[in-house]
Amino acid sequence: MDTSTVARAPHVHPEPTSFVWKYLFSTDHKVIAKQFLWVGLFFLAFGGTLAMMIRWQWAFPGEKVPVLGIFLERAGGMITPATYQSIFTMHGLIMIFWAITPILIGCFGNYTIPLQIGAQDMAFPRLNLMSFWTFVISAVLIVASFFVQLGTAAAGWTTYAPLSTNVGTPGPGQTLVGLAIFVTGVATIMGGINYVTTVIRLRAPGMTWMRMPLSVWGLWLTAVLNVLFVPVLGSAALLLTLDRLFGTQFFVAGAAGVKGGGDPILFQHLFWIFGHPEVYILILPAWGMISDIIPMFSRKPAYWYAGTVWAMVAVTVLSAVVYGHHMFLTGMNPLLGKGFMTFTLIISVPAEVLFLNWLHTMWKGSNRFPTPMLFSVGTVFVFGLGGLTGLYLGTIATDIYLHDTMWVVGHFHLTMAAAAFLGSFAGLYYWFPKMFGRQYNETLGKVHFWGSVTFITLVFTGQLIVGFAGQQRRLYDPYQYTFLQHLLSANRLTSYAAFLLAAFQVPFIYNFLRSVFAGAKAEQNPWEATTIEWTHAASPPPHYNYNPIPTIVRGPHELANPEVKKATGRDWAGQAEELPSGGEQAPQTAVPQGA
Amino acid sequence: MEEAIIQRMGDVVRYRPPRAREETTATMGMVLFLGAWGMMFAAFFISYGFMRARLTSWPPPGVPLLPWKLPLANTLVLALSSTCYQLGVREVRMARASRAWPWLSLAALLGAAFVGLQLVLWKGMFAQGLEPGSAGAYSSVFYGLTWLHAAHAVVGIFGVGYVAARAVMGAYSAARHLSLRLWGLYWHFVGAVWALMFVSIFLL
Amino acid sequence: MKLQRILTASWKPLAAGALALSTVALAAVQPETGIGLPRDVSLHGHLSDWLTNVTHVFNIILFTIMCVWMGIACFKHGRAHQAEYDLGDDKRSIKIALMLSAVIFVVVDGNLFVNAINDIDNAYWNFDEVDQNPATVRIEVNAHQWAWDGRYAGKDGRFNTEDDVLVWNDFKVPEDTPVYFQLASTDVIHSFYLPNFRAKMDAVPGQVNHMWIQARQGTQGDYDIGCAQHCGTHHYKMKGQLSVLSKDEYQKWLNEASVNGLRAFDATDGAAHWGWDWKKF
Repeated sequence: MDTSTVARAPHVHPEPTSFVWKYLFSTDHKVIAKQFLWVGLFFLAFGGTLAMMIRWQWAFPGEKVPVLGIFLERAGGMITPATYQSIFTMHGLIMIFWAITPILIGCFGNYTIPLQIGAQDMAFPRLNLMSFWTFVISAVLIVASFFVQLGTAAAGWTTYAPLSTNVGTPGPGQTLVGLAIFVTGVATIMGGINYVTTVIRLRAPGMTWMRMPLSVWGLWLTAVLNVLFVPVLGSAALLLTLDRLFGTQFFVAGAAGVKGGGDPILFQHLFWIFGHPEVYILILPAWGMISDIIPMFSRKPAYWYAGTVWAMVAVTVLSAVVYGHHMFLTGMNPLLGKGFMTFTLIISVPAEVLFLNWLHTMWKGSNRFPTPMLFSVGTVFVFGLGGLTGLYLGTIATDIYLHDTMWVVGHFHLTMAAAAFLGSFAGLYYWFPKMFGRQYNETLGKVHFWGSVTFITLVFTGQLIVGFAGQQRRLYDPYQYTFLQHLLSANRLTSYAAFLLAAFQVPFIYNFLRSVFAGAKAEQNPWEATTIEWTHAASPPPHYNYNPIPTIVRGPHELANPEVKKATGRDWAGQAEELPSGGEQAPQTAVPQGA
Repeated sequence: MEEAIIQRMGDVVRYRPPRAREETTATMGMVLFLGAWGMMFAAFFISYGFMRARLTSWPPPGVPLLPWKLPLANTLVLALSSTCYQLGVREVRMARASRAWPWLSLAALLGAAFVGLQLVLWKGMFAQGLEPGSAGAYSSVFYGLTWLHAAHAVVGIFGVGYVAARAVMGAYSAARHLSLRLWGLYWHFVGAVWALMFVSIFLL
Repeated sequence: MKLQRILTASWKPLAAGALALSTVALAAVQPETGIGLPRDVSLHGHLSDWLTNVTHVFNIILFTIMCVWMGIACFKHGRAHQAEYDLGDDKRSIKIALMLSAVIFVVVDGNLFVNAINDIDNAYWNFDEVDQNPATVRIEVNAHQWAWDGRYAGKDGRFNTEDDVLVWNDFKVPEDTPVYFQLASTDVIHSFYLPNFRAKMDAVPGQVNHMWIQARQGTQGDYDIGCAQHCGTHHYKMKGQLSVLSKDEYQKWLNEASVNGLRAFDATDGAAHWGWDWKKF
């Protein structure tokens, strides 16, 4: 190997030693990733608790809420209609922006991107640090919103105007939440800029685009969408804040509109131009991660790697032109509606390709099922179910009946919540040994999986069922309607499933906390995985990740190759592993870094 | 001294000005950052177009008209500011870094003048009875968009002031003046957005 | 699924029962049973129901194939199985993958697309026929927090005049007749939802939307009206009732109500004059 072309690592700063610089204000992407993880897990629990309250209300309408009733003292321990609005609003906002985003994107994006592409850190480590603390500011703002007069936001996570203006929701709570959304958007954009630039500029020699792990592809495309479309949400949030604080009328119409007022539908356009890419933002990391994890445990290359890449790219590109399917019933021009319907149906094709590839990867593999693989397969399962339920919503004729019913809620929970939830755990269990240098308890992991996948499927199928029967979204008391009264038992059963889902997170909490602090030491590469964070970095990796930076000589899933077996006796070869003659060799001229 | 990096691109041998890899990375980050802000302002402009298209008359009847002379003057102020900035950059590039700070300081001052003139504009319209909520979409667009732009201009003024101070301290050389270039991108972006606002809000 | 087919098949006796009840007693919406779609009393609801059910069948097939495929892979190709070195990127494999995707797309998505276009062009969003039909009943709906105001034009056929019939959460329509709604809102976005007619349309402040329904012959009875867009604290209680009457009964009611409306008209009550000139789309 020509040593003059081996990348010499640039000067490595010594690792900080004091607690503040090491754990609080670190610029190390691995530390920042864990910071995002802790905050994200906290808000996952918070948002989940809010969900349990919704389920309680539907199972036992008007009854005192056990345990959590202490927060509702003024109402005698019961959820009132006004509180209920805030509960479902904040459940949605918190889960999306303060739970899934920090876990999937803040944690896994930060952790895996530099390690998997062979970089020592992100392109902009200080920007990374700023993005975390900006995120913390936004978290403080939403928590603060719970304690102001008239309560926190109450217009649904979709924040439609005019309900979200002073006309519909007066008080500082909604305004604070609008600001919190803007601030977290800034944090997300900072992160997005970092990820996009890092993947373009800091790939190790030999790490061409088509040799990158699919996790990196998923996270990179997510970052591109973040940079492009979170600003549009920012614009909606800013204009709404101007309406609320300064009396402008961007979104105010009807009786309160002055000289024609503004346009509430404009808010929906701005919101969904962000909102639809956002759902892909929340799923692309999970898609990418399971596209890497499944090959590792099928001991077989990812089937048609390029197809998966192009499918994810296609979804990314199409994501912006399908947004109108959220607005079919706003009175839009039917021609425009048909256009959105067309694109929405088309975007199902790349998703089909992804499924075919995952299934084909497992087929004729040598599948083994430790917890990460279980969660990955579970993700495929729930996303398959959820994706199919979207077909009815993307089609105008069937959407007329199903729009704003619980069918929609079941659909997006299966695709967005369940798939992202299970996908996050797939990643967490998979990278746990690398991140923390310790082993988690496999039995507890399996218990966590089976409980989660079973009850998450039951809960969201329950939502689909009552939605199919016509139950609208966001009803404090569905049984006011005669045509819904018979659904009490269905809702109650679904709620029991939800409570059991919550209960099955306890094994995870125990397992996670115990293993982080007192788990047995982990090996460098317990999974016999092929990507370089496993083959070339310790568990956990040192401060500077790699020194020297490895040269990449093959793709990320060299598994089951008989040539490799002959040369090494193993069924796998690492991305940066030079094989004795008989295996794949690198070209003699290394590709310069950053090309 | 600087060394040219010669890159082969097929048959074409291209001269590429020397720029450290880190500088290209930083520039890419700034371009993405401006892309994000650009998307936000694009959303504002689309919103404006959307709202205007809905209404039969713009401005609505009985509403004080927006002037064009003061905004035109302001557009020229910002254009002049960007020009001064680039002249400052030119001095640095021509290895006359000590002569950059007057241009950069002038650019900052002109930026402040821009914000000052905006204040005059807002106060004037307010006095005429045009308040943020008094004329529906029309007043909302005027105040909302110009306020949000001004907020970005204020950040820019601090940035230009910062690079001017750095220039005074002799931090820049012909080979190394990354922050000067990056803040330049930002400042010209602010000016470009204003030009678009001037045309779309005050002229059309 | 089966339950729903039973329900769909048994709507006749159900409707007959409802008819009997409604002609005798006070107005009362009949509760639904089972976990399927609510009963459909509309002229065109069956179109979207058919499309939904057919798509169900396709989806069940696809999902089953996926589960079986995964299941076999999990059990038959487990740890003991020798993994096959297949990158799936040869021309043949790619062709198969693309073809499979194309077939699914054309069959499932294509079916949805073609039928949806047909359904909205010829039925749900086909307002030309309804507009030109002399028998069409026109109703303006003003949605507000948290009730549905309705306005019929009365004998003079013009809205916002003295003889308008004003209703509150209680709409009466004739069977077997197109009913054409125009929807507006004074405060926030609401959504006028008739589950038994498979009909829904948002009521947005600052604009007028429209939708139309038709109750089939012999579907007299009362049906829920719901709000399907979160509109504030009492969104859950924004319930109305739509009563389908025989044509004679409807006319009788309308005449009486028009007379009452004229009598009760108060020229000074500005809030009651929320109507608008019927919008030409």
